[in-house]
Amino acid sequence: MIATVRGLTYRYPGADSPALRNVSLDVDEGAFLLLAGPSAGGKSTLLRLFNGLIPQFHGGQISGEMRVGELDPARTPTRQMARIAGMVFQEPEAQSVADTVEEEIAFGMEQHGVPAPEMRRRVEALLASLRIEHLRVRTLATLSGGERQRVAIAAVLALQPRLLLLDEPTSQLDPAGADAVIDAIRGLHSAGELAVLVAEHRLERLLPLVTGVLGVQGGIVSEYGAREAAARLGAVPPVCEIGRRLKLTPVPLTVAEALTALQGRTLHVGTHPYPPAPGAELLKVDGLSVTYGELVALREATFSLHEGEVIALIGPNGSGKTTLFRAIAGLIRQARGTVLFGGAAAPAGVAERTAFAGLVPQDPAIALYHESVRDELAETLRNRRSKTSIDNSLKRWNLASLGSRHPRDLSVGQQQRVAIGAMLAHEPGVWLLDEPTRGADSVAKAWLADALHRHAEAGGAAIVATHDIESAARYATRVIALDEGVISHDLPMRVAFGSGGLSPTQAARLLPGAVLPEEVEA
Amino acid sequence: MHTMAWVGWVMLVMVVALTTTNPYYLGIVLLSVLLVAVLAPKTATGVASFRTLFIFGVSMLVISVAISVINGSYGSHELFTIPGPQLPWWFGGLRLGGPVSAEGLVAALTRGLAILSVLLAFGVFNGAVSPHRVLRTAPAAVFQAGLIVTVGLTLLPSSIEDVRRIREMRALRGARGGLRQLPALVVPAVIGGLERSMRLAEAMEARGYGASPPAQRLPRLVGMTSAPLLLAAACGWFYYEPLRLPATIAAGLGLAAIGWWMASSARSRHTTSLNVEPFSLADRVLASASLGLAALTLGLALAGWSSLKYNPFAGLAWPPFGATGAILPLVTAWPAFRLLFSSPPEVAPVRLSPQVLER
Repeated sequence: MIATVRGLTYRYPGADSPALRNVSLDVDEGAFLLLAGPSAGGKSTLLRLFNGLIPQFHGGQISGEMRVGELDPARTPTRQMARIAGMVFQEPEAQSVADTVEEEIAFGMEQHGVPAPEMRRRVEALLASLRIEHLRVRTLATLSGGERQRVAIAAVLALQPRLLLLDEPTSQLDPAGADAVIDAIRGLHSAGELAVLVAEHRLERLLPLVTGVLGVQGGIVSEYGAREAAARLGAVPPVCEIGRRLKLTPVPLTVAEALTALQGRTLHVGTHPYPPAPGAELLKVDGLSVTYGELVALREATFSLHEGEVIALIGPNGSGKTTLFRAIAGLIRQARGTVLFGGAAAPAGVAERTAFAGLVPQDPAIALYHESVRDELAETLRNRRSKTSIDNSLKRWNLASLGSRHPRDLSVGQQQRVAIGAMLAHEPGVWLLDEPTRGADSVAKAWLADALHRHAEAGGAAIVATHDIESAARYATRVIALDEGVISHDLPMRVAFGSGGLSPTQAARLLPGAVLPEEVEA
Repeated sequence: MHTMAWVGWVMLVMVVALTTTNPYYLGIVLLSVLLVAVLAPKTATGVASFRTLFIFGVSMLVISVAISVINGSYGSHELFTIPGPQLPWWFGGLRLGGPVSAEGLVAALTRGLAILSVLLAFGVFNGAVSPHRVLRTAPAAVFQAGLIVTVGLTLLPSSIEDVRRIREMRALRGARGGLRQLPALVVPAVIGGLERSMRLAEAMEARGYGASPPAQRLPRLVGMTSAPLLLAAACGWFYYEPLRLPATIAAGLGLAAIGWWMASSARSRHTTSLNVEPFSLADRVLASASLGLAALTLGLALAGWSSLKYNPFAGLAWPPFGATGAILPLVTAWPAFRLLFSSPPEVAPVRLSPQVLER
């Protein structure tokens, strides 16, 4: 037993209700536990108990018993707890201290006074076990998100903790980066006694690997086995959803398992609506190129967008998705090529362009500064001289109940919705959304899919940059793939995400012809 | 160049710029800093803040002059008069409007030049030395301050980046630019910066920063006695001329207390280092010479002896200029020579990945 929690209740300073209620659980040596549940349900809070950041760093009231490796984390300074429980945070940029990879890994050991030869030995071992030897002398600022996150894991493991805590370690990464990080975690776990606790929203990669699941919702923690979790959790991967509906026992965790379980059964593709034929052209991009010095970020991009279309823009980080959006919105002066809005040349200014094609950049919540949600929307409506009343606008973005709240007091998902509302309150015909579901839970994703449907039905159009194929399949009609600044594919959604396409969904891999889980019928 | 050498240089520039009021010598200091800025390595992420510090420094200069115009100023060379109300005496002699003299403008300009030089020196330092290197050279006794400085140095460039992004996002919401939009830029940048500093501080804590045992009680207590001693010394020195000798003794005792506290903390806080930053003989000599020279200049200025003074109110004569007086301001350019005659930088310059550029 590496950690025990008994009857623990915790309340943040100034909060009305507890963030964790009467939590009791055990973590064994070698356990690999997944913390699943909606945003703001208590996953991060639970993780921070194990190294004492809660209550020592964040304050608040705590009651109940807790032991991590014979120590009480509420009373042992967190910097000492680092030797037992190592923690990796969500954003790789917000946790690094040193300049180079080696120094970053050594930082904790230097602080604990580990002798230099021993430090050198541990750094080498960690570089090898996380397969990042080639990064040894690189500057952290030049690494990709997935590489940085693996360096962060190596850095906390350098103190040889018995418990590794990971707070949504892949939510900010692209699929390749996320896969590399999850492979690294799996390798560490299978190598020995290390217990791993990982909080995540994207369960499909982790569910088949873990020894147990902690469902965390509304501050209540329930323990499940991986199979039980697949059968009972609120938000599960599509393949589990299909397994549940077809009454498979046990519920499959992977597509391969589902295929085996379904052998001999005939499945057919359920009815699905085809997107209506697109209307008039709203946006045309012709030969759009952007270069930063020697780097060609976007090369001769050409496509058009029609009424009723929603394009999912896919491609790894650094492939030019953001550059394309910024060039359309007029934020990049050196962009060459033409942008047409409804057949006419796009105006020059950013404010004029986004009046027609509204852009929601990544992390838009950093631009919120008013006292209330209502004021945020009102400001955009005033700037845009829109005739929409503020109350209608609040209803439109499903914010009516939050109108008088302070944007900073909202959950991350709600903040994101306020920010999207604030950027698009003037109802532009074209929406450009840059990774709107990054780090979002299933509720936020469902809301976004619904908003996009209604926008397209009303004759609007949208381009959504995303890594999340499963949720893009719910709203997209077309898929454009970018690769090193070049449009490599422009396909209908059912082709791109279908069986044999660019990136098939789980349902498509199970049954050719299907894309969404509900289309798989027995 | 070693971090301590850079620290020594910044201290020297600070002392020389702030004790000099002769515009010629200040001009030399400013040019020296600019020369160093051109030659200094620009490898740390803080390099992005140089431009902002430059703009900030120039605005401080403009504001300094503007305030002296609004306040009016005394002096015999009246340039023009701004109409303003006569404020009652209990405003403590504050004036609004009134005659503006050439003397007042010159004094404001020299003040602005000094501030600009110091800000630029800090900008060069920020671009040449990463926060992590500063943290490693910080004395063990002040590890909490080390945390604060690291968080601050890390956040300055990212807050500047935030302001740029927020400005863009405001344009995306159809907002017009202009001074009235300043709160809309600054408020979210400050809040975002605070949130980010909390996350970095949390991560450093979780990584075991400051994990080695703190200094014992006695050195800490002795360290604390330095504050009243130094305060008493300052009061004695500036306000009671006959008490200057005891004040000097008190200052010496206070500094000794700090020294002992630092030394004993360094002994008890056992930290190690994976790579030791090479501290060459040249850097050792230059660092200690700079610190020594800074201390000497400060001491002489406190004693009221400085050849670099110029008082424009004494008849607005041309400021004096002498070769001997120009030596000290010229010395502040030493890193330029050190950099010219040293091997190329050890670290490759930061090459931004496409992902970074995309943001």
